[in-house]
Amino acid sequence: MDDYLIGVLSNIGVISFVALSAYLLLLTGEISFGQQGFFAIGAYAAGIATALWGWSLTTALVWGAAVSGSAALLVGVPTLRLHGLYFAIATLAFAEMVRILFELFRYQISIDGELIGPNGTDGFRNIRYIFDHNIDAFQFLLLIYSLLAATMLAFMLLERSRLGVIFRMIGQDETLAELQGIPVARYRVLAAGIAGMLAGIGGGLYAHLTTYVEPRIFDIMLGVHSLAYGLIGGLGTALGPLLGVLIDIGLLESIRALAGYRMIIFGGLVAMLLIVRPRGLLDEVVVHKIGRGWRRVALWVRRSGLKPRANNARATGGPP
Amino acid sequence: MIDLIQNTVDGVMIGSSYGLLALGFTLIFGVMRRLDLAYGPSIMIGGYFGTLLYLHYGAGPFAVAIAVVIGAVIAGIYVERLCFAPMKAGAAIASMVSSFAIWMQLEQAAILVLPRHTYPFPPLATAAPLEFGPFLVRVDHLIMLACALALAAAVHIALYRTRFGLALRAIIGNPVAAHLVGINVRTAVLLAFAGASAVGGAAGFLVLAVDQQVTPMFGMWATLKGLIAMMIGGLGSVPGAVVGGLLLGIVEANSQWYFGPQIRDLVAYVVLFAFLVVRPQGLLGSAPEPAMPPKA
Repeated sequence: MDDYLIGVLSNIGVISFVALSAYLLLLTGEISFGQQGFFAIGAYAAGIATALWGWSLTTALVWGAAVSGSAALLVGVPTLRLHGLYFAIATLAFAEMVRILFELFRYQISIDGELIGPNGTDGFRNIRYIFDHNIDAFQFLLLIYSLLAATMLAFMLLERSRLGVIFRMIGQDETLAELQGIPVARYRVLAAGIAGMLAGIGGGLYAHLTTYVEPRIFDIMLGVHSLAYGLIGGLGTALGPLLGVLIDIGLLESIRALAGYRMIIFGGLVAMLLIVRPRGLLDEVVVHKIGRGWRRVALWVRRSGLKPRANNARATGGPP
Repeated sequence: MIDLIQNTVDGVMIGSSYGLLALGFTLIFGVMRRLDLAYGPSIMIGGYFGTLLYLHYGAGPFAVAIAVVIGAVIAGIYVERLCFAPMKAGAAIASMVSSFAIWMQLEQAAILVLPRHTYPFPPLATAAPLEFGPFLVRVDHLIMLACALALAAAVHIALYRTRFGLALRAIIGNPVAAHLVGINVRTAVLLAFAGASAVGGAAGFLVLAVDQQVTPMFGMWATLKGLIAMMIGGLGSVPGAVVGGLLLGIVEANSQWYFGPQIRDLVAYVVLFAFLVVRPQGLLGSAPEPAMPPKA
């Protein structure tokens, strides 16, 4: 694969984590403008862990996810009783606070006669783990996509689990969920924490992919983009946000002939798409239809005896 | 003490423009029950109209002001037609994301027309600052404050003393009921959107004329300042928007003076976050209802 393609694919993979993070909150009915804050926390925490403390990449990524997840839990509690626009603005305010705090954050250590570490607005250079350990771009791409695949698998399991049903139920009607005996507050904080962790993993990968982070990257633009990805791709399945990222970065950013007009085309397309499909390309209805079609095919295959199966009792099971 | 008073006076002046921005924002939100993220960028389009007129024809402040307002209204109507009018009821998030997409579009369009980072904007007044004892007051700041208060009063009168205002308040209260008593909701909403954009355009002109420059970043700046002031003052409240803007201006001016620009921005967000957590209805708003229904 050529380097440019690897670069674009790595970018898509990393940004997908923030998009999935915003998507998870959308499932529970909340709009967050602030997932870029947890992305930033994950990036700085993981970067500091490898570049300054000499930790391994795996521990650093786990550490980044843990720090951003805990931050998300801490923010989740006071914003619990906020909804809709109020929640969206509160998360935006939090993420902007994080960004400005990183502009003020200086923590540098001299390593081999060179000052390394976050240096305010100048950013955090030389997160060189993947060079120092001879990990090439393609191997790192594989790492990103295996983590993404694991996350997607978790989302698929979530959609079929009780927890997934509870999340969607809270998203549809919080009062009804509460009346059904679901401790809504606890689940909302849980969702916020998981979403923060996801963004943090993405941030850790991002820091090591680009070897350089600065606070300016984590502005409101990134936050609203990651929210928009889920809505463009569709709210019916976790593949939706991925599709959104793919359309934006994969299709438009990569076609260099469009440079300069990218946003005009993208903006217009998104606006028109949302008129026709207000819950995105892969919304719940489409996902349901695909699932039904898939089950019919599976049934037909079984009936025509092409692929006999012992366990016919589960014939109706399929993607919801 | 002298510093504190001087900063507070400056803050009131700057804050009056925040208040105007918040006023347009709160009108749109009140009528739509949806957030228009492209509000600031449409004002920026107006600013670019004005700058073009100034650069190519040497237009004076008055002509530029009219151009800014007209530009903002045209962009605002474009946003309303594309992001709000065709959306089904209940698709509040779709409207918001759609307005964000149009924000990107407007910003890119502005950069394509005038590609440099900053362009000059005609000043409001170049007279020396007035002295009141130890305090200095810029003349253009005074004009800004006067215009802002006059416009806020005009909006208040339009809302509470005219038939159109009555119709708008009926729509804000209950769009379906308003429709049933014979109000043409779609037209009234479009007019309200245009009016709010005009108020925003006026605010944009005042800010740009005081700064004497326009950049593509102005759109984001206007959206954020308007949003913060609106939330602090209380969502949907006309006097709240003005008070919220003034408070934001005072807080910013003082924290800038004592701690520098980064802490100024940080303090603004801390105040916003604290208000949302402790008193979501803001200073003068009514208790929050679920502003956007949870169903997207």
